[in-house]
Amino acid sequence: MTTTQSTAPFDRASARRRRRRFPVAKSFISVILVAIAALMIFPLVWLVLTSLRPRNTVFGGSFFPTSITFDAYSTAWTSTNFGLHFFNSLWITSATVIGVVVSAALAGYAFAKLRFPFKNVIYVILLVTLMMPSTSLIIPLYLQLKSIGLLNTQAGLVVLYISSSAPFAMFLMRAFFEILPVELIQAARIDGAGEFTIFWRVVLPLARPGIATVIIFQFLGTWNEFIYANTVLQSTDALPLQPVLFGLLGQYQTDWPTLTAGLTMSIVPVVLVYVWMQRQFVAGMTLGAVKN
Amino acid sequence: MHSNNPFQRGSSFVSSEFDRRKLLKLGATAAAGAAASGVLAACSSGGGSGSSSGGTATVRIWSWYTEMKDTLPAVIKDFEAKNPNIKIDSRIFGTPDQYLPALTAAVSGGDVPEIFAPHVRAITYGEQGISADLEKELGSSFLQNFFPPTNQEYTKNGKQYAVGWEAQTFGLFYNPDIFKQAGVNGEPETWDDLIQAAAKINAVGKASVSISCNPTTSALDFFLPLITQVADDPTYYLKLDQLQEGYTYTDKLVVQALELNDRIVKAKVFQPGTTGTSGDQAQQLFYTEGAAMFFAGSWTPSGLITNAPAAFVKKYKVMKTPAIKSGARHWTADQAGAGFAVSETSKNKDAALTFLKYLYSDAVYSDLMNKSNSMPSTQSAAEKITNPMLKLMTSWLPDGCPHIPFGAGSSAAGDPLGKIFDQSASPATVAQEMQVAVLNAKG
Amino acid sequence: MSRNSIPAPPWTRVSMRPRGQSVWKLQRSERLAGYGFVLPISVLFAVFVGWPILFAMYLSFTRWSGFGAPNFTGFANYTRMLNDPVAAGAFVNTIVFALVTTIIQTAIPLVIAVLLSAVWAGLGVVIRTILFIPGIVSFVVSGVLWKLIYDPNLGTLNTTLKSLGLGDLAQHWLSNPHLVLPSIIVVSVWAATGMNMLIFFAGIQGVDPTYYEAAEVDGANRWQQFWYVTVPGLRVVTAIVISLNLMNGFKVFDIIYVMTGGGPSHQSEVFGTYLYGLAFGSTSGSIPQLGYGSAFSVVVMLLGGVAVLVQVILSKRANR
Repeated sequence: MTTTQSTAPFDRASARRRRRRFPVAKSFISVILVAIAALMIFPLVWLVLTSLRPRNTVFGGSFFPTSITFDAYSTAWTSTNFGLHFFNSLWITSATVIGVVVSAALAGYAFAKLRFPFKNVIYVILLVTLMMPSTSLIIPLYLQLKSIGLLNTQAGLVVLYISSSAPFAMFLMRAFFEILPVELIQAARIDGAGEFTIFWRVVLPLARPGIATVIIFQFLGTWNEFIYANTVLQSTDALPLQPVLFGLLGQYQTDWPTLTAGLTMSIVPVVLVYVWMQRQFVAGMTLGAVKN
Repeated sequence: MHSNNPFQRGSSFVSSEFDRRKLLKLGATAAAGAAASGVLAACSSGGGSGSSSGGTATVRIWSWYTEMKDTLPAVIKDFEAKNPNIKIDSRIFGTPDQYLPALTAAVSGGDVPEIFAPHVRAITYGEQGISADLEKELGSSFLQNFFPPTNQEYTKNGKQYAVGWEAQTFGLFYNPDIFKQAGVNGEPETWDDLIQAAAKINAVGKASVSISCNPTTSALDFFLPLITQVADDPTYYLKLDQLQEGYTYTDKLVVQALELNDRIVKAKVFQPGTTGTSGDQAQQLFYTEGAAMFFAGSWTPSGLITNAPAAFVKKYKVMKTPAIKSGARHWTADQAGAGFAVSETSKNKDAALTFLKYLYSDAVYSDLMNKSNSMPSTQSAAEKITNPMLKLMTSWLPDGCPHIPFGAGSSAAGDPLGKIFDQSASPATVAQEMQVAVLNAKG
Repeated sequence: MSRNSIPAPPWTRVSMRPRGQSVWKLQRSERLAGYGFVLPISVLFAVFVGWPILFAMYLSFTRWSGFGAPNFTGFANYTRMLNDPVAAGAFVNTIVFALVTTIIQTAIPLVIAVLLSAVWAGLGVVIRTILFIPGIVSFVVSGVLWKLIYDPNLGTLNTTLKSLGLGDLAQHWLSNPHLVLPSIIVVSVWAATGMNMLIFFAGIQGVDPTYYEAAEVDGANRWQQFWYVTVPGLRVVTAIVISLNLMNGFKVFDIIYVMTGGGPSHQSEVFGTYLYGLAFGSTSGSIPQLGYGSAFSVVVMLLGGVAVLVQVILSKRANR
């Protein structure tokens, strides 16, 4: 049915116009969405406002602070050595994302499109830990890292992250690869291409939404990870950002402005990655990659 | 039927180039990071295992005592200047929940930090050879300076496995303004007085006593002095904690104490929803003037200075926990909630002991305690307390009863106790459940 | 498939090989590639997941507090689990939490995504970004924020209700045993909507507009177009979202631990929080019970494995 129908965004807009939407319905829906958005963003507005308050006025005052100060930001920057830990987080997270994308894409493709004995057995085994809470294996993992000699190293943490996150990423990638028609690959094989070349040149470019999804998920998950980093890394200099920020959450006293200032600053790179990726993500999907 | 012909979509080639550039950029960052962190890792793993390189011993000190966060670094710098062969690596976690996984993991890996906060595991670790016997290492003349309960809590069979860092007593903090508003005169001396005062305070729309029962071991902090008052014997709970011969939770003295607790709860002395209130929430209720009183320990003044509005900090007061009848002893709950243990197995044990002695030296210790508004564990430092609230609470130490359960399984008594606070079981039932729970958790 | 519109692939430098010979070579190279591609993830898994699991299984038959040697105790831990009311409660809570959050976190984002595709593109982008932000902060942060919101005395929720004159509706959201799980579910939905909605939105955009045109030509109205074109087109995406939510619901830990610690009195205890307390002896001061905790982990893993197996089988059937 479809021949060379272009699926560029321009046609999408005209298609919408052809569907004759009344502005009344559009405005009504817009109002609802704006209300939902306002409600959802409210706690985070509180977060940012709190970072602007002087210390002892966090509770018991009005919602909008009467006096604004940026002191908390400079305190957060210096007292937590923000720059160092930010860089730690950046490198640990980036390395993890790359490792996960590489191993998950390869394996996901293999499970989706290649045939080899015991494929399903291996697949199910790899997925067995998918549902386990992060707290279940900390001590055995810690001891394993120790016996390999990777304890208290950022590299060891990265390897740990990759190993525990790759199965889910592989699950996602497999789902994206499954949709691709086998004929494509068969054609390339008949043309004499090697398996890896097929993967790299033919299949991978089509999996952009899958890769973008994995990148967003993995970046978020690793950037925000706390308990493994806190346990595996002993020296404070090696720690990523989250454990250091949560050190500000005391048992009986919490420096809220500094904590929220640090958290606000730590959200920035994730927002950047999201904005960058989501254009890829949505664009990839609209190019018709997802179809039955 | 329908194909997504990849070669048709001209734009996809451009994007796949973009893809690769992205990957390359990330790769470059990662490579740079790998190089940098390789260096960091080498340094950190060298320091972390506590090994000496070129004659420098690294002493790790781990705790969650955030009160010292700002003041400890200066002390460390001074020490390192005087002791160039020793390097101190201090790690202050935010809460015990952040700290305990790291400690548990380190212990299970056999690499215990040189100085660490033992939480309630001091004796257990000591008997397993993980924490050192400080009676032997520091000597009795050093330990004599400490308040006896802070030594006793960490002692078993003549060996002391930790020293108290911050002592604590519990009290009833109160807001004189609300008292005036409700027509409560003076400080309630007995539980009956408190119940009467509560009626007046509730009448003006405030909660009377703010308390945290989440986790339920905080509820034990309130209950255990009651046992001591009912038995009029400060050693009663210690024996119960160890489940010594003849001491069980089903004993009639315990049931009596539970009944007293029950009566207090029934009189609506506490805020609603105690079992869902955490420590910081209970404190917030107090300094936002939602409750007239606040049952908590002597770490509170430090917390209030950080959290509460300045005007509130100036006006609040503190009194002893009410007594069981007029003229009877109050038996304030006390001990040292924060202590330090020394690793028995570390190569740098001697360096650790040197640093520990430095920390407790008169000038350093009392300065640290005063700057962080904490209650010291040594008598000499107690004489130099500057914060009036703490000075008052420290004076209660001689009249105190130890209340921290160190025995295996004892803290499991907290969950059944919670049922008194949410009124879902009777005292007799709770007593039996406590006995069962403790025996189960003991293993 | 129109092969004549494919430009010559760049690797075609040799002429086609005779079919008989290449079949065997193709199969072999495919098999080699299969194992080769799967090798990195398998090695990492075996070393850093597989082996620790085996160790945990061994520990599940012992009693160990993290120091000294583990004591072999046979099946004692497993029998203890059968009689443990907290474990049973955690089981129920986890299943309920996972199911309810999956349903809500699939339905609501879908609806919002549909609404989003009906508004102006510019506004859509802004709203999409705003809705995504709650998912960016870690669950620890979300938990802390919402714990403040739910605070019965100071929290925004109750103070707003009171100021609107609805003071009767003000509750002890986190200390009331009947309300604690629903309250936490709300937070989970708040955090997860953004990402799920984005996936659905992209999926909707990915449905070929010619289908809509064809449907319109056939006389379908917008509701019918939605039901017969959009929804089937979202099958794969929906399956992904459901799996994602189910998995996260099962694994939940941070958000509950920070808000209630599993309380009040274990009413919000789930697998993650219970395992945490067993492994580390939490703030309440108990000694680590790594043997029992490992036994519990093994049971959780088996349950999760069954759930995964079911999903895999179902999706294989669906794809046929």
